[in-house]
Amino acid sequence: MKMTRREALSTVGAGFGMLGVAQAANNQPHFAAKAKHVIYLFLNGGPSQVDTFDPKPLLSKYDGKSIPDEFLKSDKRPKDMQNTRLLGSPWQFKKYGQSGLEVSDLFPKLGGCIDDVCVIRSMHTDLPSHPQAITQMNSGRLIAGYPSMGSWITYGLGTENQNLPGFIALCAGTPHVGPELWSNGFLPSAYQGTYVPMDESDPEKMIQNLTNRKIGRQDQRRQLDLVSALNKLDIEKRGADTNLEGRIAAMETAFSMQVEALDAFDVRKETPAVRERYGIPDHVAESTSKRRSATRDGDFARGCLVAKRLVERGVRVVQVYFGEDIPWDSHHDILVHRDLARQADQPIAALLTDLKESGLLKDTIVVIGGEFGRTPSVETTGRINVQNGRNHNSDGFTYLVAGGGFKGGTAYGATDEFGFAAVENKVHLHDLHATILHQLGLDHKRLTYRYSGRDFRLTDVAGNVVQGVLS
Amino acid sequence: MGLPTHGGLWSNTNNVKLCAFLTILAASASAADNPEAREFFENRVRPVFVKNCLPCHSETRMGGLDMSSREGLLKGGQIGTSLVPGKPEESVLIQAVTHQHERLRMPAGQPRLSDRQIADLSSWVKDGAYWPESAAAVANKAKQYVITPEQRNFWSLVPVKKPAIPAVKNTAWAQGDLDRLLLARMEAKNIVPAPAADRRTLLRRAYYDLIGLPPTAAQIDAFTNDRSPAAFSKVVDQLLASKQYGERWGRYWLDLARYSDDKLEAEVEAPYENAFRYRDWVIDAVNTDLPYNQFLKAQIAGDLMGDKQKYAAGLGIFALRPHTQDDRVDVTGRVFLGLTTGCAQCHDHKFDPIPATDYYALLGIFESTKDSEVPLAGDAAVKGWKAQKKLVDQQKIVIRDFLQDQATQIARMYALQAARYVTAARSVIVSHQDQRAIAAREKLDEVTFDRWVKYLAKTSKDHPYLKGFLSDQFDAPAFQNRLLAVLKERQDVDDENTLRAALKKRKGPSEDPTALKPESFYLWRDLFFSDFYGKEFKQEDDGLLFYGPNRGYYESDGTVERFFSGEYKEHLARLRQDLKTLEAKLPPQYPFFHTIEDSKNMKLERVRIGGSAANLGEEVPRRFLTVLSDGKPFTQGAGRLELAEAIASPTNPLTARVAVNRIWHHHFGAGIVRTPSDFGFMGDRPSHPEVLDYLAARFVDSGWSAKAIHREIMLSAAYQLSSTKVTANLNTDPDNRLLWRANVRRLDAEALRDSLLAVTGELDLAIGGPAGKFSDPSNKRRSVYGFVSRRKLDGTMSLFDFPNPNITSDKRSVTITPPQQLFLLNGDFAMDRAAKLAKTQDVRQLYRTVFGRLPGESELKLAQEFLVKGNWAQYAQALLNANEFVLIN
Repeated sequence: MKMTRREALSTVGAGFGMLGVAQAANNQPHFAAKAKHVIYLFLNGGPSQVDTFDPKPLLSKYDGKSIPDEFLKSDKRPKDMQNTRLLGSPWQFKKYGQSGLEVSDLFPKLGGCIDDVCVIRSMHTDLPSHPQAITQMNSGRLIAGYPSMGSWITYGLGTENQNLPGFIALCAGTPHVGPELWSNGFLPSAYQGTYVPMDESDPEKMIQNLTNRKIGRQDQRRQLDLVSALNKLDIEKRGADTNLEGRIAAMETAFSMQVEALDAFDVRKETPAVRERYGIPDHVAESTSKRRSATRDGDFARGCLVAKRLVERGVRVVQVYFGEDIPWDSHHDILVHRDLARQADQPIAALLTDLKESGLLKDTIVVIGGEFGRTPSVETTGRINVQNGRNHNSDGFTYLVAGGGFKGGTAYGATDEFGFAAVENKVHLHDLHATILHQLGLDHKRLTYRYSGRDFRLTDVAGNVVQGVLS
Repeated sequence: MGLPTHGGLWSNTNNVKLCAFLTILAASASAADNPEAREFFENRVRPVFVKNCLPCHSETRMGGLDMSSREGLLKGGQIGTSLVPGKPEESVLIQAVTHQHERLRMPAGQPRLSDRQIADLSSWVKDGAYWPESAAAVANKAKQYVITPEQRNFWSLVPVKKPAIPAVKNTAWAQGDLDRLLLARMEAKNIVPAPAADRRTLLRRAYYDLIGLPPTAAQIDAFTNDRSPAAFSKVVDQLLASKQYGERWGRYWLDLARYSDDKLEAEVEAPYENAFRYRDWVIDAVNTDLPYNQFLKAQIAGDLMGDKQKYAAGLGIFALRPHTQDDRVDVTGRVFLGLTTGCAQCHDHKFDPIPATDYYALLGIFESTKDSEVPLAGDAAVKGWKAQKKLVDQQKIVIRDFLQDQATQIARMYALQAARYVTAARSVIVSHQDQRAIAAREKLDEVTFDRWVKYLAKTSKDHPYLKGFLSDQFDAPAFQNRLLAVLKERQDVDDENTLRAALKKRKGPSEDPTALKPESFYLWRDLFFSDFYGKEFKQEDDGLLFYGPNRGYYESDGTVERFFSGEYKEHLARLRQDLKTLEAKLPPQYPFFHTIEDSKNMKLERVRIGGSAANLGEEVPRRFLTVLSDGKPFTQGAGRLELAEAIASPTNPLTARVAVNRIWHHHFGAGIVRTPSDFGFMGDRPSHPEVLDYLAARFVDSGWSAKAIHREIMLSAAYQLSSTKVTANLNTDPDNRLLWRANVRRLDAEALRDSLLAVTGELDLAIGGPAGKFSDPSNKRRSVYGFVSRRKLDGTMSLFDFPNPNITSDKRSVTITPPQQLFLLNGDFAMDRAAKLAKTQDVRQLYRTVFGRLPGESELKLAQEFLVKGNWAQYAQALLNANEFVLIN
């Protein structure tokens, strides 16, 4: 065998240990990186910006009324707005922290961390429809088949821990559109997100084939040594080859991963106090609810805590979806947000606090947001229960980004007086993607992959790094 | 700016933000009229712009730059101004063409401009960048789409030409013309082919290549002992004649066809019960060696070729497309022609001679079709099934409505007793009296009472009507009246909305639906909500007075039915019995092919400028690609048969080349062109253009027979080389592009799973039929018959690089990852196979079964050491994990 085990391991170092693909990863940043990891807390369904982080006093003032003429003159307002009725937020906003940024009563605990959060109030995307929007938020594209941001990042940077996947997607159940959201698209499959269900708490149930029930660890070690010996004889016969050596290295990694993953995904290894801080109940309730787009108490919290444990172990990108399908899609009644926010606020705050205390927040970008926001007006079409909800809005919504060199305690950009559309310092999702890559030391224009006759990138032909959100 | 990383292939939205669109040209001038400067600009500058710059930097404004006017240059692109008049060295334009710029190398993807051209541009800038007023027409001239002679002469677009067969030095090595072509190239570089593979290795390679399964020890023995010169040729013929051949090579086609057994739909699993008929048709077509021109015609126009039963199933490639996106033109281009026609959706193709009009000419063909089916049963059977299905569906609605009505009545009944229940509940909550005792005393329904107690104990409510209920001053009867009122309000709202919906349907003046006031709604929701009201949301639990029928057609959770007795109970039982009877008479749905057919109304598409449906350009007739045809519009129906014939024409320079390259790719692990679905400018150039043309010509001459090409390739000496690394060659051709040795390959997902089942003797070789789940341990069929899901690809298959069935895939990525090893180390599938093998308890026999050979001395010794514990299963598993099993060389 020509390579040492160490050398072989380093060859396997791209992504989650892979070899033999036509275009290997860059595997190192284009320039000095400010951040190393990304945690993306995805509030699928589309949380309302005007009820959470983008206060609109005028909305309360004109609650139940149509938009006053004086505001309609702005050409930035959609044309058919004359007939809509505005809906004031049922929640109060309060100032938090040194920065005095305003956060609604829905997120009091997150409010306590607001000095570490950059509140981007001028996000916008291209289509206000769930499947396209959720796909675009993840891959930059409106349609299926393209690599997700997590795949691009692991393609660009590889991973720091060979014993765990470089890109992990967590969700209790499946978000709308499903596994396509963490797809590697046309990138080598080593960069696809590894989905781990968060409605389980036992790692053995979370990860396929993680443990062997029949063969003990020592026996498996012996078995591996036998395979190794057989392979060495084989290499003597055939001569060295990257494929042969790659398999040997991958086998060793798999062996150690069994221990590592058992530990990393197990929140039971945390103290009860920690679990309580995140809001994870000791016993998972059997789900009796018939609700479709909902999640059980503690499921999203478990995702947040697992995300922390994974980043501590060097996992590059962790994405936590809030829950099955599209829980935040409060069309008919915005009050449904209350229960969702209760499940989201505590674990997000706990995660930010823990990352800050351990110093990891410096090089971990925590991104929080959904596929779009919601309209400031009440939804009246096709909904017969109560007209107290909001429709989809891709023209203006809020994203929160903490850590990784993003400027905490800052509000960047603005929507109009009511929150219909981003009007000031607009940030398209391509810009956000470009900025995240930038902080990771990747030039979004140079992170390309040749497929079907041309070079593709996460940001398509668009995207500008938003300097104003960086410290 | 320089890289062609632009518009989505299939963006079908008003995506003006991504792809730039029509530039409105403004006349511009920088100086008074100046004949000399004008002449210089017209003759020396403008032609360079038109040819080299404007394709990307006018309408589509790559990098934000529009060079169709002086203003555009001054304004520049994303990185700022491109032109500083008088200062060539400061002008990005000059920096880019001289390659002095830190990043830009223009024109992108093309050779550097000539020194003279660069000098002309520099002096033009130096002299102030004069731009005559009339030259605003620069871009207009560029707009007239012209295919240049260079583009027409691009290697893949010129006719296939049989190559002259070169003389070679090593005449003994070459088995035929194919070898001579390959060897001549090696000899020119002083490369020596590796020795031939040993017979066992060769046989194993041939088996995996053609049928995706390992040879048995007996088959290896037979071949090793057959010393006749035709021994290998016989094996190839046998394998090509076996049914397993179509299963292997059909699957490669299914990769291209992005075949799946279900829809990509987010909420529910939505299998296509008849999708497998397209899969089986492909496999059968490969097995019968259906001439490739027929094969591809059937997939575009199979309903128009006479025998629908024989050909129409091929239309599955379009009928079973991912419905979330329109990839039909893209698939047609890439799969059949190796052209990225999808790139021309938003603008003229940047590199290949495919104007945007071509895209819409092809799209018009598909837009003039609709999804359809070809039933494989008689008319009577089809009609009978549809009629019976309707009866079943109606009966389900009758049952649902009955249960819903009863539950609603019961809720109303308890609403009329609300005052009693609330008052009684207060004594439980306030005075902690025994709940059951009170229920008995007050004659309350225990379940309902318990629900009230729990509800009232909750402190916060979204409506005000229960405020102060703990006080004995609380007006319970008034609350009860409020409940009855809210039911009336609900009814009014529903009636009003029914009316509005009806008006809207008649397209009269209509209003949006109305709704309950929030306070009323919250009260109604808490007490009466049922998911018959909230299917769209399901963000609510059922109301406390609503005993939901739980959507049970046959049975429910009993919550509503516990109230039924006598006539009601019997009525429900009868309804259910009737449903069962109806269903018993409903046969399984008749089988059918998923197809497409011409619509009644033919459509002509208009160019969507920048891919935006809001910005329409010229209308385009349905026709074939400009560069490959005379451009005449199609006249028969949607034009599919004409399209199919144009693609399948023996004079089409691409079709045969693309097809034989795909065959080559799967035999050698890499194509002669390494981008099998892109034979355009941005694709790979052929490593052996003569070989490609030689095989393409052979292909057409043989009557488009894929089997003929397999034979030609496999009987060559080049195919039969060993994977031995010849050190002397490594410097000249480390990537083995000249094919001086065999490439080592990893078994793909299907071959691995099938081989594991094959060596234990468990593999079920049944052919065709509905797909089985991979997760089902009793599924021992070949992997090609496993369920392929667009929604959620099987975890193990995708672990081993099974391609994403949402997009066409021309080659598998090959990864070697730790989770793959976990599957082999710990997975039930691998463990079960090992346990099965372990029954042998004979090392020599195990070696013959797994590797098709006997163990060597050191291997026997290792076995002996390991087996001291008698752990045969672990030993067998180790053999299955060994490189020798998983890699082909």
